[in-house]
Amino acid sequence: MKANTSKTFILILLAALLLLTGCVATQTTKTSEASKEDMSWMFPDIVDTSFVKTHVTVPMLDSVMIIDARPYKAKYVKGHIPGAVSIPFSEFDKKTALLPKDKNTLLIFYCEGLKCKLSHKSAKMAEKLGYTNVKVYAMGYPEWISLKDNYASISVEHVATQIAQNNTMIIDARPQKTKYDKGHIPTAINIPFSQFDILKGKLPRDLNTPVIFYCGGLNCRLSHKSAAKALEMGYTNVTVFAKGFPEWTKTYGVSNETLQVQAGEVEGSIELERFKSIIANNPETILLIDVRDADEFAKGSFKTAVNIPVETLEPKIKDLPDDKPIVFACSTGARSGEAFYMTKDVRESLKDVFYVEAQIDFKGDGKFEIKKSK
Amino acid sequence: MFKKSMVVLISLIFTIVSFSVVFSSEGPAGNDRKGKYTYRKVYKACAETGEIESATPKLSPADKTMEQWKTIFEAKTFEEFGCKDNWAAISDSDILDIYSYFYHHASDSPTPATCK
Repeated sequence: MKANTSKTFILILLAALLLLTGCVATQTTKTSEASKEDMSWMFPDIVDTSFVKTHVTVPMLDSVMIIDARPYKAKYVKGHIPGAVSIPFSEFDKKTALLPKDKNTLLIFYCEGLKCKLSHKSAKMAEKLGYTNVKVYAMGYPEWISLKDNYASISVEHVATQIAQNNTMIIDARPQKTKYDKGHIPTAINIPFSQFDILKGKLPRDLNTPVIFYCGGLNCRLSHKSAAKALEMGYTNVTVFAKGFPEWTKTYGVSNETLQVQAGEVEGSIELERFKSIIANNPETILLIDVRDADEFAKGSFKTAVNIPVETLEPKIKDLPDDKPIVFACSTGARSGEAFYMTKDVRESLKDVFYVEAQIDFKGDGKFEIKKSK
Repeated sequence: MFKKSMVVLISLIFTIVSFSVVFSSEGPAGNDRKGKYTYRKVYKACAETGEIESATPKLSPADKTMEQWKTIFEAKTFEEFGCKDNWAAISDSDILDIYSYFYHHASDSPTPATCK
């Protein structure tokens, strides 16, 4: 009786085991079928981050092109792998002219990570066009930006947005006298890479503050080297505007002229030689406001100046245009200095505001003599 | 004896000249341009409370000498300015700027303030 019960128990156990194995087998088959189905959209030649990293160079080699297949405005502008060209998958057919002529060029496509199909689809289309060396960086941008030593490049539109939001420090990594002093992106401070270790104290104390480095364009390494140093220092939100100042001037050409206003020694003052040069050569690039009284203005002022006596300035500050730098002037710097501080106090968002800290003797007919204040 | 007297005399002259140079370049190191705006702003705020009738400050830097302003600002005796509550609320940094404005544009300064 006991033996029979044991046999029955063993039989039941075996049956249960078989059933269970069958279920698992069925499930495995189903999963693998599903995987096969999922994998079909994937491009066969996948590369990893280290492969991509070895091909990110400044400047990028002609034999390599890294291609961001994500949407331009929503993704690429805000951050992309340095050196990457934007060819969104949705616009691939329209933008094939951006691809290199040499069909043997190494093309590395990426998009928004493992579940993103855009890079795979683009890669397949590139192969159809005859490209022979096509890869996909399947982990894509999320993996790139998550790695400690990596940083993103951003586009000119994003730089402008960050300036408007006023929560980012923009750093010009070019030499001061030969480059920065001749023009720079509004609000940018200058930390030439050659003096990075000496001037790094100018960087924000909060390591989470977004910092954007730029220099002289795609062939310039200074911004990239500076970004690497900032990452070493522990900054967590480091980006490079790789196309740099040439791209800025190309996009915001008019305001480039305005950028050439240069701060003087005293807070808020415009550098005198630069001021003289602007008045002589391109006075239309600044809004020059003479803050003396109307009777003084009538006797003589700068040809392009408008008159807003400092006593009447305050209610008008909100209406001052912000498309070019504003420079206040008077005869000694006293009233124009007051106008400067008033403007900064009333409308903090106006960034390019200066005053002339100098003795100005107006001669009439737009002529004047200007001397540095003692 | 004569030599000794000469040495003492020259030393004395040197000391006097040095002191004059030092004292002539003395003065508060604030921002006088900013001080001018802050000073006027204080009076504007004071006028808005109704304590004074006009927002135009009643005291100008040219009303006193540098030494007189030095005494007032070092002792922080601002009663003469009126608007006691507003003065009490001004930060030390702003006070320094206002002091610089008054001192550097005092009646005996190289650049006395005009009515502007």
